[in-house]
Order: sequence, then structure tokens, then C-alpha cells
Amino acid sequence: MIRRTQVLIAFSVAMLLSGIALVAPELYQKLPLMDDPRFGNIAAATLVLLGATAGLIALRQVGRNTKTLCRQIDAMIGVSEPSPLQTNDQMLVSLTDATNRLLLANARSLAESKRKMRELEIQLKVVQLEREHAESIIQSISDAVLVTDPWDELVLANESAARALGFKLSPEGRVPLEGLLHDQKLVSLIREMRASRSQGGRRIVEHRTRSGGEDRTFKVTLSCLAGDRKEGGGVVAVLHDMTREAEVAQMKNDFVSHVSHELRRPLASIKAYVEMLIDGEAGDEKQKGEFYDVIQNEANRLGRLIDNILDISRIESGVVKINKQPLSVTVVVKESLEIITPQANGKRISVKDQIAPAIYQTMADKDMVHRAVLNLLSNAVKYTPEGGTISVSTHVDETAKLITIRIADTGVGIPPKDLPYVFDKFYRVEANNRMAKGTGLGLSLVKHIVETVHHGRVFVDSTVGQGSTFGIELSLC
Amino acid sequence: MDQKTILVADDETHILNVVSLKLRNAGFRVLCARDGQEALELAQQEQPDLLITDHNMPQLSGLELCQKLHADSRFDKMPAIMLSARGFQLEECDTAASGIVMMISKPFSPRQLLAAVDQVLAA
Repeated sequence: MIRRTQVLIAFSVAMLLSGIALVAPELYQKLPLMDDPRFGNIAAATLVLLGATAGLIALRQVGRNTKTLCRQIDAMIGVSEPSPLQTNDQMLVSLTDATNRLLLANARSLAESKRKMRELEIQLKVVQLEREHAESIIQSISDAVLVTDPWDELVLANESAARALGFKLSPEGRVPLEGLLHDQKLVSLIREMRASRSQGGRRIVEHRTRSGGEDRTFKVTLSCLAGDRKEGGGVVAVLHDMTREAEVAQMKNDFVSHVSHELRRPLASIKAYVEMLIDGEAGDEKQKGEFYDVIQNEANRLGRLIDNILDISRIESGVVKINKQPLSVTVVVKESLEIITPQANGKRISVKDQIAPAIYQTMADKDMVHRAVLNLLSNAVKYTPEGGTISVSTHVDETAKLITIRIADTGVGIPPKDLPYVFDKFYRVEANNRMAKGTGLGLSLVKHIVETVHHGRVFVDSTVGQGSTFGIELSLC
Repeated sequence: MDQKTILVADDETHILNVVSLKLRNAGFRVLCARDGQEALELAQQEQPDLLITDHNMPQLSGLELCQKLHADSRFDKMPAIMLSARGFQLEECDTAASGIVMMISKPFSPRQLLAAVDQVLAA
């Protein structure tokens, strides 16, 4: 490798010698061969040639080194950790150093940008996840949720809302609420709330609308979302279906009035007969005796009613302690029959019984089974017209270890459409409403006692105009 | 003075018994009916001077019974006393076309019922 410096030195010397030859030729004449003028010309030409060649070589060298440097620079493009550029050429050293500093600075700033971008990507992912999380929370809410923007367009809604209000959820952006919902009253409720701009305020409204083909009542909670001062924010509307609650409230009201009505009946008899006794209206001792019987029976009836009502609410709230002991079904049935006989006699209803021997026992709470049997007997008397018949029988299946109590009457019967529901709470058979008044709780109590508490079975069979047979099936000990 | 005839209609046996006993002891002739239909037939047969009826009865309600009888020219002068559950309200238009002059709520006092009967028949 010819170093450029050496070339330059050679060139400089050649120029110097040429210069001396031009200025002081006589100096060369002292050298051998120098006095020959031809030699002088050849020497001069050679020197010029040497000089030019040296110049060219020098220039070429610069070019080559520069190209090498450029190649190195190109190779560093886009590299995050560039290796320092190198050069042998002293003329290019400062350029190389400067370029190296530039490359380093760029690399650092590139690395910094990449780092920042990664951070932003992570933040974006976190925000997305949070958003998805919030959306899935909203989707999982069973109440209908609607979120609108300041221009009354739907921003977000969950499945429940789509189902309740009869529209389709679409992933495409914002849809004007007015066109989407058929319930215009709801749309105007939301619009009014938005216009009111009550920050942090909440409005709760009861709203009736047609949903899923039925009239339903919703509790609508409206809140304003914070927004910028000029536009205001959107609205969040949560619709809670309270139709069932409203129905239950209505049933409870009906129940209370039924109950008071029911309680009033035996009470009216008691009061009237007591007054008659006080006023000495009873003709003779026999009649007095009849009066006392009526008062006693009606008082018992009143007591049973009250017990029924209390039992239902206590059993419901889980307060009742269950006390299961080996119990003779026969004994319970006979006791219940004794209680119900006066009422049956009052309607000239004959009571027949065919009861299995007392040895058959079931593991049960005596009071509860007693109540269940009594309720069925009481119903049989209520819904059987004068002169009818009630037959009570017990049947034992030793193989299956079951005992079944059947109470059959020749009463009004139950229409087929009501049969599946008779054991439901508050359910009353409309067709028989005039025949007898009831709380609608008696049979549900029987079902609860037999099935839930004693894991037995209740069943019913009935023909309108002919009568019904109610049954209780329990396991033998 | 003629013995007055009172028709009593109630689906509850005990109430029927106590009212009829009280009124008989007071010297009235008492006819008993267990439901609205039976009461209607008895009224048409016997033409009572006064009707005492419960409201909630099978077949025909007390109100319907009164309205039917009142529509019949034979009975439009016959007054009626209605026994009803407390809190039971009748619309004015209903009472107008029924001949009901008084409402007594259950539980009631036989003494007060007798006093009411005397009052109504005296008018």
C-alpha cells in the first residue's frame, strides 16, 4: 500500500527539484550527465510525469477511501447499534469522526423512539383490555344498559337491552336512538335527561313498555355522563324489569285483602252467637248448647286460618324447626278427621274412611303432616256442595316402602287448565271462586310440607262436576 | 199489626241461623235462602216486606239480586239491607237502581241489625 503521504512527499520533492532546475540550472550542471541538455529535458519531462502520476495516485486514493467510507456509512443505515466507521485516510478522519458521532446520536434517538413506541403499545393494549373488560361487565349485567352520546346516538348497549327493547346490536359505530328503538317514550326520556345536563344527578322513572310481546314494567335509572362544557355528556340508562315485582306486590295486596276477608267470616259468627247468648236469645239448653258448639268450632276455624297464614310465612322465612319422629299416619289422619267432622256435618257431607292399621309409621314432623292433611280435608269440605261425600283412605306399598293418603270428594272438581298450578302459592281456581273463598296458600303449604320438608309427593286428580282426589305419598320408616 | 215477612239471603249457614233466630224471636216471619238464585225464587213466591242479603254469594251476588228485584214492579218498593265485608264500597249509581237503603258491615251485631230492621220498616 502506497501511503498518500509518501506520494505527496515524493511529489513535493519532484516539484522542488523542478523548481530549482528552472531557477538555477547551473546547479545541475555540476552533476554528472547534467551538462547534456538532452538529459536535462528528459529529466524535466520525467519529473513532470512523476509529479502528475503522483497527483493522480493521490487523488485516486482519496476517491477510493471516500468510497469505502461511503460503503461503511450505507451499511450503517437502519442499524440500531452501528459500529464505528473506520478509515486509514488521514484526510477523511475528521469527517469519519463527525459521521460516527452523528450515527451514534441517531442510533440513540432511534432506540429511544422504539422504546417509547413499545411503551405506548403496552399502554394501548392495557387500555384496550380495560375497555373490553368494561364492555364485558356491561354485557354480563342482566339489566338492560344503554349508553348514548351528546347527540342522542347509541354508543353502547348490552344483549339484555337488545332483547328487552327489540333491536339488533350492531358493531358499526353510533346509531341514532330515535330510529333504533320503537319505544319513543323511552327515547324522549333519554333526550330530556341529556338536555337537563344534571351532572351526577340521577333520575328514576317507572316505565311501561311492550317487550317480548308482553306489557312489562321497568324501573329506569337515568344518569348524565360528564362531557365538555359546550356539548354536555351523554346518558346512561339502566332498565330493570320489575314486572314480576309489581305482580308480586299486587298479589300480596290481594292476599292481604283475602286474608282479612277470610278471618272476618268465622269472627262474624262468633260475635253474633255470643251476643245472642248475652241477650238470652237462645230458646232452651239444647239451643244454647248448639250455640256454644258453633262458637267453639268457628273459633277453631279461625285459629286454623291464622295458623295457616303464620305457618306459611314462618316456613318461608326458614324460622320453623323441623322435628321428625316416627309418626303413625293413621293417628294423624284420624285426628284430622275428628277436627273436620263438625264442618262436614254442617254441610251434610258424609265422611267415609278406610285407613290402614296404626303400625305403619313414617319419619315426619307431626304438626306439619297434621297441617297438610287438615288442609286437604278442609278443602274437600269447602269445595263439596251440600249432601256430598268425602272418602279418606290410606294405602301401604310394602315393597316400595310408601304410604299414600288419598282424600277424594264429590265436589266441584278442577278444570284441566288449572290442574298444573293448584299447588302454586296464591293460585286460586277462578271457576271455583264463588264456591268458596280461600287464601290460595293452603295447597302450597301442603306441597311444601310433603315435598320439600319430607321428600314425599303430592298429586291431584280431578274431573269438573264430579270431584277431586288429592294424595300425599310418604316414605315408611 | 200484620206480621212482616223478611227474606234473608246468605251463603253462610251460621249467619243465616243467627239472623233468622233473632228476627223470629222479635216476631217476624223469616224466609231463608242460601244463594242469590234461591232468594230470587223465594221472593217471587212470597213477596217479602224486606230483604236482608249478603253481597258475596254464589250464583247471583247480593247486588245483582237487589237490582233484579228492584226492576220488578212488584218489588220496587221493597227495601233491602246489605251485609258486606268492611271496606266494601258500592257506587252510587248501583245503589240507586237496587232498593238498598242501608249497608251493614260484617262482623255485625244482631242487636243493631234488629234495630236497623225496625227503622227501615217503620219508614
